[in-house]
Parts: sequence; C-alpha cells; structure tokens
Amino acid sequence: MTDDRTIIPEEGDKLVAAEYVLGVLGAADRRQAQQRLAHDQAFANEVAFWEERLGGLADAVAPVAPPDRAWTRLARAIRLRDPSTARESLWQSLAFWRSFAIGSAALAAASIGALTFIAISPVSRPPLLATLGASSGQPNFVAAVNAGGTSLMIVPAALLTSDQRAMELWLIPAGDKPHSLGLIEPGRPVRLDVPRDLVARITADAALAVSMEPPGGSPTGQPTGPVIASGKLTSL
Amino acid sequence: MEVETNRSQLVAALARVAGGDRAALKIVYQDTSAKLFGVCVRILNDKSEAEDVLQEVYLTVWRKAASFDPARASPITWLVAIARNRSIDRLRAVAGGRRMDPIDAAEEVRDPAPAAVELVEAAQQSSRLGLCLEQLESRQSVAIRSAFLEGNTYEELAERMKVPLGTMKSWIRRGLLKLRDCLER
Repeated sequence: MTDDRTIIPEEGDKLVAAEYVLGVLGAADRRQAQQRLAHDQAFANEVAFWEERLGGLADAVAPVAPPDRAWTRLARAIRLRDPSTARESLWQSLAFWRSFAIGSAALAAASIGALTFIAISPVSRPPLLATLGASSGQPNFVAAVNAGGTSLMIVPAALLTSDQRAMELWLIPAGDKPHSLGLIEPGRPVRLDVPRDLVARITADAALAVSMEPPGGSPTGQPTGPVIASGKLTSL
Repeated sequence: MEVETNRSQLVAALARVAGGDRAALKIVYQDTSAKLFGVCVRILNDKSEAEDVLQEVYLTVWRKAASFDPARASPITWLVAIARNRSIDRLRAVAGGRRMDPIDAAEEVRDPAPAAVELVEAAQQSSRLGLCLEQLESRQSVAIRSAFLEGNTYEELAERMKVPLGTMKSWIRRGLLKLRDCLER
C-alpha cells in the first residue's frame, strides 16, 4: 500500500523536478523530464532550484584525479571540433550565438549561425538553406549549403534528447531515394563535406532529413530509424 | 574567503570558455576535474566509463558555458549537475548489470564511503541543507543521499533498502516536500 495519494497532484507535478534532479526517475520518465526542460520555463526554474539546493550533497564525494590522458583526449577533441583557426571568426560567432540557444531564440540563433557559414562562402551559385522540422512543426535544425554545393553546415535549433542513437543526415533529391550525407550531432553545429557524386544533386528541389540510427550510422545505406526532422532546401 | 576567490575565478574562467578560450577551459578542468571525476566514478562505479563521461562533461562545458548564469547558480553546482546528468544518462542507457549493494537503513547511512559521509555531515552541519536533512526521518535522508550520490532509481532504492516500491516513493516524495519547505524558509 502506498500513501502517495496524500500528496496532492499539484505537488506531485512539482516533485517531478526534484525527482529528476535527485536522479530517481527511470529512463523513460527521465527523458520526458529532459524534453520538458527544453520548453517549460517554470519546470526549468524548479529544476534549477533543486540543483542549487541539493548540490551540496556532492560535497560527500571524494575527489578522484582522472588519468592524465583524459585531458589530452579532451584537448584533441576540442581541436577537432574547432573548424580550424582559419575560420576563427565563424567559430566565435557560433559560440556567441549559442548563448542564446534556449527557447524561441534558438531558431534565430541557428539561422544566424547557418547564414554566417554562407556569408563566408565564395559565390558561384546561390547558397541553399533548409529548416528541418519535426512532424509537430517544431524546428530542430537549420542547414545551409555553401554556394558551390560542396559543403554544408547543420546547426541544431532545439535541445534534443540524450538518445544514445546516432543522427544521420540524408539528402533526398526530387523523385530519388535518400543518400547519406553523414552523421551529425544534436548538441553542436557540424560541417559536412558533400560527397562528390551528390554535389550536382543538392539543389533547390531536394530535401534534407535527419533519422535516428544505430551508433556508427545506418547499416543498410538507407534510413532505418525514425525521421526526427526534415525540410526542403530553398534558394536564398 | 578562499572559497569565494575560487568561485569568482571559476566564474571568470567560464565566461572566457563561453568566448571560445581553450586556455580557460584548461583552468576550469584543472580546478574541477578531480571533483567531477569523483562524481562520475561514484555514480558509474567504473573508471573507464567515468572517463568517457568526463570527456562528454567537459565537451558540454565547452559548448554550453555561455548558458551558465552566475546570478542563478554557483559554478561548481552547475558543473556537478552536468557531471551527474551525464553519468545518470549513461547509467540509464546501459541499465542492467550494475552494482546493487543493500543499504541497511537501521544502521544509519552505512554508505560505501563512510568517512566521506562523516566529512560531509561535519561540513553541512552549519549549512541549510544539512539542517534540513537532519529534520527528516533517517531512512528518508538515507534514501535521498543514496539517490543523489549514486543515481539509483526508485526501483533500485526499494530493492537496496528492502522495502516495497510504493513505500520508497512515498519516503522520498515526502522527504523532498519537507526538504522544500525547510529550504524555502
């Protein structure tokens, strides 16, 4: 028998934030709380309250020095992620705009990130832009294809799940099957080189889509998991 | 006083990280990685998993430093929250096969690191959180501490403390409500 019923529903709802911070929720409830965090400000405030108040419990954890290689590995990962010093200005502007990447400002920030990418591309044919939305209409990514069609930048516009699966980006030319453009990440802008045989097919009537795939990407060369976002390319 | 200096140095370093300063990230790492690694190891109980997660934690810090708001959170709390969240996400993703030592509530918190518990109890005596935790029934505070430090789900805690799931939920929820009242006072 449980005496949960003595807790009024409103309090029960408020408690979800505390339960999330405490870490007692199972995988599904936890994911749900994380999704709510992205768009429910009152819930996010409640989570912040508990994180600040319960944070002191971590004082009980004895520090453990990580092995030296951990820093080396991290430094290397960050250098790889940094789109080279030559594009320092682009990187800085993305880092700057990311600071606004919460709530409704996220799409605008992602668009500006994507536009910055186009702005640095030499002009030969018009650059293309796509907003990739979920079926709910929620925009999840903004993608920009450079003027030559050889490279694209995809910028996340929403806080996505912590799903362990990989996200794969697909080019779907009009009347054709999807062609993989590579793996992307939910938390950061990714620049991909367009495979040479697809450069000519990345046009204003094609679409882009993102699907969830096993780690390492689709084993079949075609999307195998759910498509979480898609959108048509448009000429600027 | 030293704590305050550390705090403002960390806030300044995080602000520079937000601007893409790699040297500042190294400062943050040097100051906090042992603490955060400790948090990850405690939750994951596996050093190599914890090392992977630690990497994710600092990559998150690198990307999200701009969202840190010093007016709302202390830097170490913000960092610990990232480390806990990443560790618990990993734990849930690989659910199954994890350590599940029983917790004997009657014996007070016979936590895997009793010395640390005594330490924190001393440190927290004067803190609000410590005072509020003391007002809970001991089984409630034991369950809340274990959940926070080890990332146990309700189900796991019920199993470890050998009580029905409903009882565990009720202990923790009531404990949290009491804690909230006390912390807001």
